[in-house]
Amino acid sequence: MISLPPSERDLHAYVDHQLSEADRRLLDTWLASHPDTAAQVRAWQHDAQQLRAAFGGALQQPVNADLDPAMIRQRLKRQSRRHLASAAVLLLAVGVGGFSGWQAREMTLVHAPAPMTDALQAYRLIAQQGLLPADYTASDGGLQQWLDRYFSRASRLPDLSAAGFQPVSARLLSTDEGAAAMVMYEDRGGHKISFYVRPPGPKNTFLARGSRNDGDLQADYWSGGGYNYALVSPAGSPAAQQLKQSLPF
Amino acid sequence: MSEIDEQLREIIPRLRRFALSLTRNGSSADDLVQASLERALSSWAARRAEGDLRAWLFAILYRQFLDANRRSRRYARMLEFFTGRDDAEPSVERTVIAQSTLQAFDRLPTEQRALLLMVSVEGLSYKDVAQILEVPTGTVMSRLSRARQALRQLSDGEISSPSLRRLK
Repeated sequence: MISLPPSERDLHAYVDHQLSEADRRLLDTWLASHPDTAAQVRAWQHDAQQLRAAFGGALQQPVNADLDPAMIRQRLKRQSRRHLASAAVLLLAVGVGGFSGWQAREMTLVHAPAPMTDALQAYRLIAQQGLLPADYTASDGGLQQWLDRYFSRASRLPDLSAAGFQPVSARLLSTDEGAAAMVMYEDRGGHKISFYVRPPGPKNTFLARGSRNDGDLQADYWSGGGYNYALVSPAGSPAAQQLKQSLPF
Repeated sequence: MSEIDEQLREIIPRLRRFALSLTRNGSSADDLVQASLERALSSWAARRAEGDLRAWLFAILYRQFLDANRRSRRYARMLEFFTGRDDAEPSVERTVIAQSTLQAFDRLPTEQRALLLMVSVEGLSYKDVAQILEVPTGTVMSRLSRARQALRQLSDGEISSPSLRRLK
């Protein structure tokens, strides 16, 4: 039960229909004999009505299919599948044993993956999403020496300095095809290109030199010295154009 | 699943309207709604069954808006530095004098806009609003009172006082 004269809170609750029926009637009577307060209350009611009218149209917007719950569920499912795929393919070599890649294998069985899909996935995860800290950086010493420790027979790190790119960091990854190494190059503008090397896999899949686009990325791939390689860069970027001209092969 | 979707579909126009009142821009409003629905569906299990679904969704949307706002404020400041204007706020001529309630509303700070939309337009209870804003019910009522005064003052075409401006 409210007490009279009403507090300002009671008056707002009156405007918002949040008083009990009894309180409401009590205030009705009281306001009838207090014109100043009644005018104040009417002004608030008027503003609320104006707002309701002004926002009434916003309920009648044309339907946006992207907001349909069924669509959103689908999108969420796709996202989690993608995350699962990346996580299964890219097991960090250090420490994360045990979890076998059967999910990844099942996924790759469904449709044979395009060449060096794992290199593109690694780029997305590491260069674009910033996951996985570097195992080794250029300031720790020569990246070529680091790579030689794991892939001694591999071809040398490509020299991309003509396009303005220097190797800055390296990571070791584990894939279904075997251990992989990824060396990240950057230019002064922070653009990133990755050099990716790994064994040809259990089926000894060697690759003819080729290039393909996947979404916003471009992969140049080849084989040599018993390994498969990929250079991944943003497709169509000035950096990629320059790179094409300065590639050592 | 489809029963939940039906409930959601009924509330989506209201979510879009709430988002519009916060962002003052149709396409970013729908982005906000989409992000909120994604959040809602992926944390559906965490929802308290007895709570009001609309209030729960409003709470998610409001928090997402505040988070996005905090993130973008940094960029907005940079943008303002380069372009000399701040897109996130109403333009200068609109801040000189407000002729209509809606224009006055647009000039209110975020929390006052959210409060007035939820209480006056959506008719949510003070208790629900308190949960959405994560403040006690008494605080909702005193802030509501301030928001109403501010809206009144602005719709009357009064030039806002410095103290009101500082609330932004």
